[in-house]
Amino acid sequence: MAKVQLSLGEKTFIIHGVQDGLRTDGRSCDAFRPMELECGVVSNTSGSSRLRLSNTEILVGVKAEMGKPRPTRPNEGYLEFFIDLSANASPEFEGRGGEELATEIANTLTLTYDLKNVLDYQALCVLPQQCCWVVYVDVVVLECGGNLFDAIGIAVKAALYNTRIPKVKVQVDSEGQEEIEVSDDPHDVVLLDTCNMPVLVTVSKIGQQHVVDATLEEEACCLACIVMAVNAKGALVGMEKKGSSSLTMDSIQDMITTGKKVGMNLNSNLSSVLQEIGRDASSSGFLS
Amino acid sequence: MAASTICIPGQRLGSTEEFQAGKGTYTRQGYVYSSLAGFRHESKQGEDLPELQVLLEDQQTVVPEVGSVVTVKMTSVNPRFCRCAILSVEGTPLTQSFRGMIRREDIRATEKDKVEVYKSYRPGDVVLARILSLGDAQWYLLSTAENELGVVLAQSEAGVNMVPISWCEMVCPKTHSKEFRKVARVQPQYLIQPAGT
Amino acid sequence: MPGDFKRIPCPQETFQPQLYCKSSTKKQLLQENGKRADNRSLDEIRPIFLKAGVVSQARGSAYIEACNTKVICAVYGPHEVQRREGFSMQGSLRCEFKYATFSCPGRRQHQTDSEEKQMGLVIAQALQPAICLHKFPKSQLDIFVTVLQNDGSAFAAALTCASVAVADAGIEMYDVVIGCSLRQAGETTSVLDPTITEDFYSRSVDGDASNHGSVTAAYLPSLNQLSAIQQTGEIEPEVAAKCLQKCIEGSVRIFPVVSQCLIKATKRKAQKSQQTAKKDDV
Repeated sequence: MAKVQLSLGEKTFIIHGVQDGLRTDGRSCDAFRPMELECGVVSNTSGSSRLRLSNTEILVGVKAEMGKPRPTRPNEGYLEFFIDLSANASPEFEGRGGEELATEIANTLTLTYDLKNVLDYQALCVLPQQCCWVVYVDVVVLECGGNLFDAIGIAVKAALYNTRIPKVKVQVDSEGQEEIEVSDDPHDVVLLDTCNMPVLVTVSKIGQQHVVDATLEEEACCLACIVMAVNAKGALVGMEKKGSSSLTMDSIQDMITTGKKVGMNLNSNLSSVLQEIGRDASSSGFLS
Repeated sequence: MAASTICIPGQRLGSTEEFQAGKGTYTRQGYVYSSLAGFRHESKQGEDLPELQVLLEDQQTVVPEVGSVVTVKMTSVNPRFCRCAILSVEGTPLTQSFRGMIRREDIRATEKDKVEVYKSYRPGDVVLARILSLGDAQWYLLSTAENELGVVLAQSEAGVNMVPISWCEMVCPKTHSKEFRKVARVQPQYLIQPAGT
Repeated sequence: MPGDFKRIPCPQETFQPQLYCKSSTKKQLLQENGKRADNRSLDEIRPIFLKAGVVSQARGSAYIEACNTKVICAVYGPHEVQRREGFSMQGSLRCEFKYATFSCPGRRQHQTDSEEKQMGLVIAQALQPAICLHKFPKSQLDIFVTVLQNDGSAFAAALTCASVAVADAGIEMYDVVIGCSLRQAGETTSVLDPTITEDFYSRSVDGDASNHGSVTAAYLPSLNQLSAIQQTGEIEPEVAAKCLQKCIEGSVRIFPVVSQCLIKATKRKAQKSQQTAKKDDV
């Protein structure tokens, strides 16, 4: 992860502040930084989103392509996640520098989205064993200001909300051969149901307390965190401990409780924002 | 050796009020814990609290530390410094060598400005040195600025082990040619006694 | 180690034949008497065989066997950091986790896939709090874990095995690490140490999928802390906390095996060095 150099004094300042429930930017321990979300920002994609969480900027492009179903799941389509930690975000990510973190994030997303409750995967199948939709979710990290997991989780959900997959008709011709016809009407599309999709919440342990949405400086003081995928009902659909330190059961329980609360909040806020933005939002330029 | 008990990492050995933490142990919240799977030893010296140690029967895991005497083999020499491979630390051989560097000014203690690296070490020499600092990411910094440190084994151009004749010269027993080296006065405890003596 | 991307060792497009089986009746997780398929009760772990010092060339090694789950691990180092990285006063830990190609029901590829890479990272992170890394400045410890046979809970077994191998290498540790897995099936049923048929797969649940999932935890018995948590599937937070508690209980039951294994290994080493000492005297 991109790191900032902090002196011992600065670290103590942050840790003691968090201990008293004070953070350097004036937030409470379970509050997110202000976010800016846009959908439909890249025209060549099936769906896209851009998220700015203070100094973290994420761009997600979703592309739906036709492919062959996996042999283990012949009548389902599937999602593929790729994370690109570009050297723009931090010179550390140059070359293969960001690979480890990118695999980590992609794996977390794959595991949490790979549940049958999350998405109707059978609807993505066109012809069992022969043809299905493969939805590539490509994430580009443009700027890294801490809390990558959560920001990517939100941006991915928004991009999938924005995704429009063309309708496909299967016709059987006179010789019994199946023929696939993709509708070219831009309004004749299938939309994905995102209400069961989870968001990621990272709860970072700082000193004896824990905070959500840690900034880069706070991440430097944090020795262990738990990344939780929380769905709208407040259930965990994935949980992982990260970082170099171990945690006691009591603090884990507290962190899970916080994660659930924050995750449900985030989910309901996100869905109302997404409804406001609408399914077919498109904007011409970003960084404006 | 008395039949001492075996401990495993994380096992509580006693309170810090009764014991001192020695090798292979650590203290946490007023207790001494073992950090190795090995034998428990207690040793009492004078008025101090008895010291608790956990020791292994075979060799300990070692990495070069600041101040330890190491055996190195020279790999390359240039006018400013020479590079070497650290082969053993305080007599314990390493499974894989670490890279080290001796700078010109660290070769000897006196007349540092007149040192010439190639008159002190040649590639292939076996040298005793002390770790000066952990150096940078790649090299350990070593020093031989002590009488006891320097060349222990060196071969002449004829390929024969040379015999030291002074602190800065060695002679080849075959060709009787003299070569310059920063010779170590090896301490008797480092000399391996030949078998049967 | 970079993989060999150019050479393709075998056709990639092969599947295991079981896929073409006409699906037979769904297997029940529990028998009618409330026991599992192998007659274990819900919170019973499989008997474990654990031996340290199995690879003579390695600095430390261990082998674990829980019925049909078999994992071997070797530790090398501490040695010089090969990659060009910055100076660090702490030692670094590298873990490579690999399923043997024949270890799982379907054939695995030779190259480490992303799942294996991830597992390696998690094992390294789980062991990090337990190892006194400050004792090895600038050096690196390599841990290689190979799953020889996977009958469920291979990752938990790998965690235990890796920590025993590190202890066997004579690396200073604060504590040992013990891994334990659990499969949650419904709100009240949790199956400890699941076999591969009992394990959770995202498509294996019919109907209501809530509170179905799996939890793996790494436990430090002396510190009474958890150093790794992996959860998949959909589980309520309250249930998840209970699952972790059960994993801890399972780990506590594995601990005597680990402790006995390390004591035996230490005794063996002591005998060996005494024997060599005797030989030298003669």
